[in-house]
Amino acid sequence: MQEHILSILIFFPALAAMLGFVVHKDSARAYGITVAAIEFFLSLWLWSLYDPMTSGMQFMEMAPLVSAFGISYLVGIDGISLFIIILSAFFTLIGIASLTEKRRVKDLIITLLFLEMTMIGVFSALDAIVFYVFWELSLIPMLYIIGAWGGPLRIYASIKFFLYTFTGSLIMLVGMLFMAYFYYQATGQWSFSLLEWYRLILPVNFQMWLFAAFFFGFAIKVPMFPFHTWLPYAHGQAPTIGSVILAAILLKMGTYAFVRFSLPLFPDASVAFMFPIAILAIVMIVYTAMVAYAQEDIKQVVAYSSVSHMGVIILGIFAMNVEGITGSVFLMIAHGVVSGALFLLVGVIYDRRHTKLMSEFGGLASVMPRYATIFGIMMMASVGLPLTINFVGEFLSLLGFYKQSHSYTLVAGTAIIVGAIYMLSAYKKAFFGTVTKEENKNLKDVNRTELLGLVPLVIVAIWLGVYPKPLLVPINNSVEAIVQLMHDKAQTAEAKQRIPDLAHSAGLNSTQEAH
Amino acid sequence: MEVYLYIALFAPLVGSLFAALFGASPKTVITGLVTSGLLFISFVSSAFLLSYVMSGHTVHVEMMTWIAAGDLYIPFGFVVDQVSVTMMMVVTIVSTVVHIYSIGYMDHDKGFNRFFSYLSAFVFSMMILVMSDNFLGLFIGWEGVGLCSWLLIGFWYHKESASWAANEAFIMNRIADLAMLIGIFMLYWNLGSLQYDVVFANIGTLPMHIITWIGIFLFIGAMGKSAQFPLHTWLADAMEGPTPVSALIHAATMVTAGVYLVVRANPIYSLIPEVGTAIASLGAFVAMFAATMALVNRDMKRIIAYSTLSQLGYMFVAAGLGAYWVALFHLMAHAFFKALLFLGAGNVMHAMHDELDPFKMGGLKKSMKWTWILMTLASVALAGIYPLAGFFSKDLILEVAFVEHHYVLYTVLLLTAGLTAFYSFRLVALIFHGNERHLEHGIHPHEAYTFVLYAMAPLAVLAVIAGMAFKTPYYLMVTHLLPAVTYHIHNHTTFWIMTIGTQLFVILAIAYAYKKYAKAVKVDKKVESGFFYQLLYNQYFIPKIYDEVFSKPYLKLSKLAWKEIDLKIVDATVDGIANMIYQTGEKTHTMQNGNLSSMLRWMVIGLVVLLVLAVAFTAGYNAVNLQAM
Repeated sequence: MQEHILSILIFFPALAAMLGFVVHKDSARAYGITVAAIEFFLSLWLWSLYDPMTSGMQFMEMAPLVSAFGISYLVGIDGISLFIIILSAFFTLIGIASLTEKRRVKDLIITLLFLEMTMIGVFSALDAIVFYVFWELSLIPMLYIIGAWGGPLRIYASIKFFLYTFTGSLIMLVGMLFMAYFYYQATGQWSFSLLEWYRLILPVNFQMWLFAAFFFGFAIKVPMFPFHTWLPYAHGQAPTIGSVILAAILLKMGTYAFVRFSLPLFPDASVAFMFPIAILAIVMIVYTAMVAYAQEDIKQVVAYSSVSHMGVIILGIFAMNVEGITGSVFLMIAHGVVSGALFLLVGVIYDRRHTKLMSEFGGLASVMPRYATIFGIMMMASVGLPLTINFVGEFLSLLGFYKQSHSYTLVAGTAIIVGAIYMLSAYKKAFFGTVTKEENKNLKDVNRTELLGLVPLVIVAIWLGVYPKPLLVPINNSVEAIVQLMHDKAQTAEAKQRIPDLAHSAGLNSTQEAH
Repeated sequence: MEVYLYIALFAPLVGSLFAALFGASPKTVITGLVTSGLLFISFVSSAFLLSYVMSGHTVHVEMMTWIAAGDLYIPFGFVVDQVSVTMMMVVTIVSTVVHIYSIGYMDHDKGFNRFFSYLSAFVFSMMILVMSDNFLGLFIGWEGVGLCSWLLIGFWYHKESASWAANEAFIMNRIADLAMLIGIFMLYWNLGSLQYDVVFANIGTLPMHIITWIGIFLFIGAMGKSAQFPLHTWLADAMEGPTPVSALIHAATMVTAGVYLVVRANPIYSLIPEVGTAIASLGAFVAMFAATMALVNRDMKRIIAYSTLSQLGYMFVAAGLGAYWVALFHLMAHAFFKALLFLGAGNVMHAMHDELDPFKMGGLKKSMKWTWILMTLASVALAGIYPLAGFFSKDLILEVAFVEHHYVLYTVLLLTAGLTAFYSFRLVALIFHGNERHLEHGIHPHEAYTFVLYAMAPLAVLAVIAGMAFKTPYYLMVTHLLPAVTYHIHNHTTFWIMTIGTQLFVILAIAYAYKKYAKAVKVDKKVESGFFYQLLYNQYFIPKIYDEVFSKPYLKLSKLAWKEIDLKIVDATVDGIANMIYQTGEKTHTMQNGNLSSMLRWMVIGLVVLLVLAVAFTAGYNAVNLQAM
């Protein structure tokens, strides 16, 4: 069973979803929780089997699909994908367990389980076509969730979400086809295997074009400025569960793909585009933080804050050194936990008041002290207080980029200031002051179902802030392999110099991937 | 000894968590007792460690790894040496007193349990700050005290002014924290480590300009926590918090963290004396600047807050001039008498039903004899009268400035000493002497609980003896770690003239304050409407300027970014492109109208275009050699 654990992880939820159609709608919730829990424990089992000291791919499985074109079902994980997979399973479980939606619960749970398959599929795929298929498939359940359970503007929001990301991925697909074609030219045979592609050294001008093609697909998903405007609509209209999964997992597909595809495939292009992308990242950080500050709707604050934090992740990735990339991969997890929790928290108040406008609240801290406390902890995690999960990632990402540029990091570092501004002012508006609205006077504090989802997230947010080592070690080892690969492949002098050579720097016990 | 270290460090955390368990339940005095008891244990452990350190040892432990990535390795490591043990003693003494005091002060507050949870959490953060053995560990404490300060300033969150002040403090500190992070990044990329011992051992190998920048960035970090100009406005606003908080956080401990950082990083600052001079000059400026604002203010707590700011300026003068042990010594002495002063003010506030304007008080020495004595004592110590604590620590800073030939700084500090004496005794005179003006407002004051007064007693004793008794043993201990420089004015005549002159000057200022305010209070309308009075009363209009120049434009710009740029430009462009494509489709679908001849025509056109493109591109296409690794 161990050698097929990845396939089980990918297809078990889908299979269970299919069986779910015959489950009675009253027991759908229990069924969903059971399936998600089994899946989550499977993912934990995967972690326990995972060897943290190995940097390469583990649990690889291969089955040829279209051998003429070198397309095969190839999956495998390393330290970079492992924790995002666990996070996907974790959030699906938490999402289903704390589900408060009353309408067509069974359909929603089935959709979520399908979505879980696509998410885990994306993060474990090592074949570009398999990756692409899961990537596009993930759009459909989300489209359905927004379109069927969303707010009044749900159709506009879901179409926008779909067309926008779909356009991006089509350009990415063209890039993938070209990549395979170049591989064919170089070696005489077709392959879509990422690991084979890693070995290909492309001329710099080819790299630039391919980098750009992939960039569109990834950047829209992240979403990077100026491609971010679909996100506020999607979050604004999506039901709580949709926002949670979208923010916690789906956005990470973009940043993950940068690490998995762009950096190792196109090291020279990555270095060449480093500063333009860093500028976009800084715009994301500062500009969207300002936009977040101007919001009147608390969910939009969290939505824009997501974009702002993704900017830090992008910056860490393009730091091109072990500190920065490790930090950004860690921050992907951290941001998943924190933004997921914040969207859940917004859902709690929305369920009670059916509004998300901060002007409708005020003084909630005295009416709902537990709720205010949990929100406060998550807010502090979001602004990156040390000993919370976000700090580790943010610190390492910024530290990493500092090596590349002092002034850029100084500007990007304002993230810790502007982040505090919008978060604290939103918290003040909603929770502090006196209770002015009659409707708020008798609000019930968080109930047991809600705590079931929130408390584990609080625990994770603090546990990994105090003791991030279990995650950092595997991530670090796999990132070292990627950085070394990039250095070895780099052709331009600038790239050679900007990407550190781990093998030849003294005092390092870098784990190298054998080619 | 490691056991004592862990007890000293974690006892406050245990207390905080214990109190947090009762956070949402009604007041139980047990939370106050348990947290106070645990802090006392922490104090006793610190005292053990002090005696161990006095005998020439240090304790250094590494608990576990925190962050390790790439070459970066940061453990949870703690060090108890001559500097950190001094801070530990100050923190645990003042916080134990403040905890016990708060049992009385917060007696009727609904958030009693919550208060103790926050207060103990603060002490824990402060202990992390002073005990960490690396810069990032210090940063944990640094942000931790910031969080607790935010929680405690905004403790009465139903008040708009309180939560506003809390946010202001947090955000302003964050600005400085960014600089500190940059300083940390520079240290790491230049030295490969953030451990104090590694950094300090190798800092000298770096080029001068890098050390200078590191020094500057770290100091900007210190400016935020220690509320130095121009990041000072939050401290006065932070007085919105309960008074014990002001005593512990915004007078005795947290705000001195900046001074601690400079003292701790003395191997860096010793290499860059120009930066040191700049620090000292800023310190002297702030000392005077803050003291002038205290002269006319009508809010008891704000007056004391400005006084704190002013004294922090003194400490930075000492630290900037390389007299690190003097800075730390004044930090310690100041913590005792300033905390005492604040706690006294808390008693007065309680008696006055939270009235803060000393002009509405008066004659309180009758009903509040002990508070009067304690506050007078603290003020005398603050003014630097022999033989109280302030005389030894503050006059030493004057001597440092003199001996180092910084006569301008010396003059500024001397004048400030006069101002300090004046505003301190203006306050004492207004509160405790003269007519009982509060009677008009129907307030009948009463003395604080007896146990509260007893709790304050240790601080009073320390305010009296800390200078006399501790100076020599402290000097002998701390100079194991800090540069042992003594500041002697060799000419005896000069020394005596200076000492006696300063004392006389200060006493005259006190006498003037009594004369002006101890009897009847006359409000001179002409002076009050004058330019200088208004300038000082409005804090040099700086808060207003910040509001107009930073806060409001930032909000405006944010709204603009959202409504005009994000919605009308970025998003509209996307919708526009989508719309264009849709329209093109709408217009061109006539191409496929089913009419065979027109469809064939389009087909031919398409084919020709494709062929042309193919010829054009393949001509320029050279097969490029691709290689595999």
